[in-house]
This record gives sequence, C-alpha cells and structure tokens, in this order.
Amino acid sequence: MIDAIALLFVCQLLGEALHRLTGLPLPGPVIGLLLLLGWLALVRRERPGLEAVTGWLTAHLAILFVPAAVGVMEEGQILSRHGLALVLATVVSTILTMMVTVLVFRWALKRSGADMPQ
Amino acid sequence: MTELLATPILWLAATLLLFELADRISRRSNRHPLCHPVLLATPVLIGLLLLSGTPYPVYHEATAMLTFLLGPAVVGLAVPIWRLRGLIRRMAVPVALALTAGAVTAITSAVGILILFGAPREILASMAPRATTTPVAMAMAEQLGGIPALAAVIVLFAGIVGAMTATPLLNRMGIADYRARGFAVGVSAHGVGAARAFQVDATAGAFASLGMALNAIATSALLSVFALLR
Repeated sequence: MIDAIALLFVCQLLGEALHRLTGLPLPGPVIGLLLLLGWLALVRRERPGLEAVTGWLTAHLAILFVPAAVGVMEEGQILSRHGLALVLATVVSTILTMMVTVLVFRWALKRSGADMPQ
Repeated sequence: MTELLATPILWLAATLLLFELADRISRRSNRHPLCHPVLLATPVLIGLLLLSGTPYPVYHEATAMLTFLLGPAVVGLAVPIWRLRGLIRRMAVPVALALTAGAVTAITSAVGILILFGAPREILASMAPRATTTPVAMAMAEQLGGIPALAAVIVLFAGIVGAMTATPLLNRMGIADYRARGFAVGVSAHGVGAARAFQVDATAGAFASLGMALNAIATSALLSVFALLR
C-alpha cells in the first residue's frame, strides 16, 4: 500500500520537476501519468496495491474537487456576465463532441477491419 | 469558539458530511446526473460560507488536503490505461482517430462559441480543457491563464449534459455498437459520462473509462502544443 502511494507521489514529483525544468506546458500530474505508464510497461508485474489505491482515488474523485467547485462563489461577476455563452458553449461542445467521436469511431472500426466478432 | 472556526477540521467535517448526504440522495435517485453529489453539496457549502461570513480562501486552505489528492488521482489514471492496453492495441486505429477528432472538436467548438460571444482570454482558457476529467482541466486551465474553479464547474456541467443526452442522442443516431457509444461518452463527458455508461452496459463503461483516460492525455497535449506555438 505504502509503496503504491510512494510510486504515485514520486511520479508526480518527477512530473512537476520536469514541468519546471523543461518549461513543458503539460501539468506536472499529467507528466506523472505518462511516467507511471512508462514504469508499468518497463517493470511488469502484478500490482494489487497500486490497483487498490488508484481505484479508491478514482472512486472518490468527486469529493476531491468539491473545494474547487465551491470556488465559483468568487466568480459571480463572470458567471452573470458570461453565463449564457458558457452554458451554450458547454452544451453544444459536449453534444457535438459525442457525435463526432462516435461517427469517427464507427467509421474507422469498419475501415480498419478491427470489427471482428469478439 | 472562534478558534474552532480557524482550524481545518470544521470545514473538512462539513464538506465530508454534506458530500455523504448528497451522495445518499444521489444513490436514492439511482445516480441521476442532475443529482450529482457535487452539484448538490456545492451550493449548500457556498451558502454556509456566506452565512458564516467565511471568505473562500479560508475554506480553500482548510480543505487543502482534499484538493491535494487530485494530483495523485491524475497520475493514477495510468493504471486503467495500462489495464486496457489490450483493447487499445486491438482497436488502435479507431481509438486514435476518434480520440483525436473528439479532442479537437471539444476544444474548437467550445472555444469558438465563446469567441463569437466576445469572452475574454481567461474564460477561453478555463473552457478549453472542458472535455478532460476535472483535475486535469483545473491544472490545464491554470497553465493557460484561466480560472481553475470555473474550469471545475464547466467540466461538471459538461459531464451532466453528456450523461443526460448520451442515450437519447446515440439512439436517435442509430448507433448500436456499445464500444463506439461508450468511447464517445468518455471522450466528451469524462467521469460523469463514464459512470452513466457503466449503468447502461459494461462494455460501454469500459470504453468510456478508456475514452476519459486517453482524452486527459490528448487534450492536454493538444493545448500544450497550442500554448508552445503561441
């Protein structure tokens, strides 16, 4: 368990360090994600502890961003001035993205011949 | 009594308690997207802060340990990607093409509409990562000069819209393949959409998780390239 938490922290730490040193605009945790992916590919073994820790974090992700969401209380001016544009942009973009993604996926599945019965 | 207000424990306890309550309501609603626990708990917490005259920075500091865990949670997204690598390899072409098309559509359509409305830069930057999972969107918004809190709320709203429209929309489009359906919901509506996909079908759920995890990488990579070119 502790080794899994340490692995996550070290990956994030290296990610943050790379972010600062190289000026790479990717956020530190995203670089950490890529580093962890590389580590998992490099050192292959069962990792029940890591599965448990990340599974727990993912399952409770919602409460982790409550403090950030509460932060909109300071953005009242933006919300009242640009609320309509924000709502419209989010709704249109969400629906359009689903449509484009599903159509491209289905088209490419047929073209690539990957559409074998499982 | 006033010292109690200054310790983190009060607001941490309030946040956990209200979230647990909201989560029970959400469960009772059979996880209806409009009863998302964050959507229910956040306004109540804002109300409590306003009533008690507590400035947001005090609350933010008190609940810092929750926010802190967002970083490791993002790093941990590597685990589902690694677990689903067989799926990715088998469907490399559709996954790569649909992911790229989805990520580009999400960014350009959302930012494009805001530009038409004449929104300022910090709002564009908060909207651009709207299709990624919340912690990535917050980090990316900050990176681009946006407002993380605004990004968090936009992402939540996008998730709710996606979760509510996915089934009727994809039915009307005549898409029967749960792999394509799930992947599209995950790319466009991240975790909230994936949770909904799992309710509908296990395959759709797995592909939605994959779409969510991969889009966290794709969208931040695209926005980073954009940030570098600018």
